[in-house]
Amino acid sequence: MLVRDIMTTAVITVAPDATLEQVCEIMHGKNIRHLPVVKGGRLVGVITDRDVHSVTSALCLTPANPKGSVRDAMTREVRTAHPLDPVEDAARTMRSLKIGCLPVLDGEALVGIITGIDLLDALLRLTGVDQPSGRVEVRMPDRPGGLARLTALIAERALNIHSILTYPEGGGRVRTVLRVSTLETRPLADALRGAGFEVVWPVEKPWRS
Amino acid sequence: MAELIYGPSYRAYDLGPEHPFSPDRQEMALDLVAALGHDVRRIEPEPATREDILTVHDKAYVAAVEALSAGERVADAAALGLGTPDTPVFPGIDLAARSLVGGTLAGARMIAEGRASRVLQFGGGLHHAHPAKASGFCVYNDLAVAIRHLTASGLWVTYIDIDVHHGDGVQAAFYTDDKVQTISLHESGQYLFPGTGAIHELGDGMGRGLKINVPLEPFTDGESYLELFEMIVPRAVEAFGPHVLVVQAGADAHFDDPLADLALTTRDYEKLYRRILELADQATQGRVLVTLGGGYSLHAAARIWAILVLVMNGLPVPDAIPPAWAEKWAGRLGGKAAASLHDPDPAYEPLATRDEVAQRNRVVGKRLLDALAPYWF
Repeated sequence: MLVRDIMTTAVITVAPDATLEQVCEIMHGKNIRHLPVVKGGRLVGVITDRDVHSVTSALCLTPANPKGSVRDAMTREVRTAHPLDPVEDAARTMRSLKIGCLPVLDGEALVGIITGIDLLDALLRLTGVDQPSGRVEVRMPDRPGGLARLTALIAERALNIHSILTYPEGGGRVRTVLRVSTLETRPLADALRGAGFEVVWPVEKPWRS
Repeated sequence: MAELIYGPSYRAYDLGPEHPFSPDRQEMALDLVAALGHDVRRIEPEPATREDILTVHDKAYVAAVEALSAGERVADAAALGLGTPDTPVFPGIDLAARSLVGGTLAGARMIAEGRASRVLQFGGGLHHAHPAKASGFCVYNDLAVAIRHLTASGLWVTYIDIDVHHGDGVQAAFYTDDKVQTISLHESGQYLFPGTGAIHELGDGMGRGLKINVPLEPFTDGESYLELFEMIVPRAVEAFGPHVLVVQAGADAHFDDPLADLALTTRDYEKLYRRILELADQATQGRVLVTLGGGYSLHAAARIWAILVLVMNGLPVPDAIPPAWAEKWAGRLGGKAAASLHDPDPAYEPLATRDEVAQRNRVVGKRLLDALAPYWF
């Protein structure tokens, strides 16, 4: 999944000489929190709702007035993304700097923006359900071939895997969550257990039947 | 008291000897009712026609089912959900599936024409079939065809789905329809097939606020299930004001079900059935069409659906089962004792997670009510 797959392309921008009042109006009107600042077609900064709050707060020693300009409140050193960056790179940058957005530049041109909300949408897509399917969750040692053996067993039963999510669980183990095209996930889980897999879901029932 | 629809043609919807959706389930239940000394009259329905099916399903999809049914090859069958391990195809599947639809549709016609108010279609309930896709053992969606007929007759419908799986096909068929309220109680899609049925699925357009989902935690017991039912369903029905209830009475929320993880007992089912009939008496002048559905522990499903027949006919629910019945069906009961209609009380050791599960379900119910409130008041 690349940045271009999840970015917003209709980017709303402001000029450096726009007023804080105008910025406030755009942010409230469009229900957004980040505005790239553009001058002569070039990105020169980013202004966020937090920037506006900080400079206009009564707690500020010399609060800016509503007619103050964007130029004096914006962040000038802007981190950006490229449309072909993997989403996880963008997420890592935003997480490590604790920032809320990355303008997306293709060369000099501003072609999009991604925010924390776009990353949440991406998470929902990765974990979501768009085909009828049941959940199977397996814990495996983090060694070569485990996933291949698991998916081969599922393929043998002519079942389709709609989505698969694998993450390291610590202790040298990985957790794999699959959405499989069957109502019969319990019989599948039994077969996987029979083949030596540790199936986390569905669990065995607490009563005898 | 209730009209019972069942025909030998239902047996043709047989997905194979190893397949859980076995027509033996109905046969065992009816046989059990007979063994208890009740001679319940059966109405044999005609199969639904192609035109009936097309009120819900796409032309190209129906053509694919017909082709496969005639033994022809269909290139993209698996993409249509046909010929998969869950929903295999066999010669004659088109007519077999139409037979089940015919029963549910016959029930809808009887109610729409005022010839009956309480109808039990002893089959059908194929709630996973989508307009253009087979899924989860279901080829044609009998419930959606019947509901379509009811709304075309001017009746507003509240659909209540107590199968353990989300009633996704019925919800999809009426997602924007303002004459159909769908309410599905099921094990959360987070864990169980088909994965949908979250509380935020509320319908679109004119149907917004009329599609209601109650996703329950795995190992929800009868007490918590009935608590959530009371919390949501009577209010929803009152807010909508339907003319008729259509109920998918799957029996797979039972604790013994091999394909799901809820923990209801036969006693919980009896309470639930009585409550649904009471709601019909209060809200729809008793008009209610009930179908079967999932239920893959034959031992549980046969007893639960026998109780359904008894309750819908106002007959007493005895405890003892004549030994002859258990002997006759011993092969299908998998060695499980079947001396009494009800599960033992308690049916299983109380679960360690019981309070936690009930608490979590309550929170979900409250969130759902919060989401629905703007549409109700």
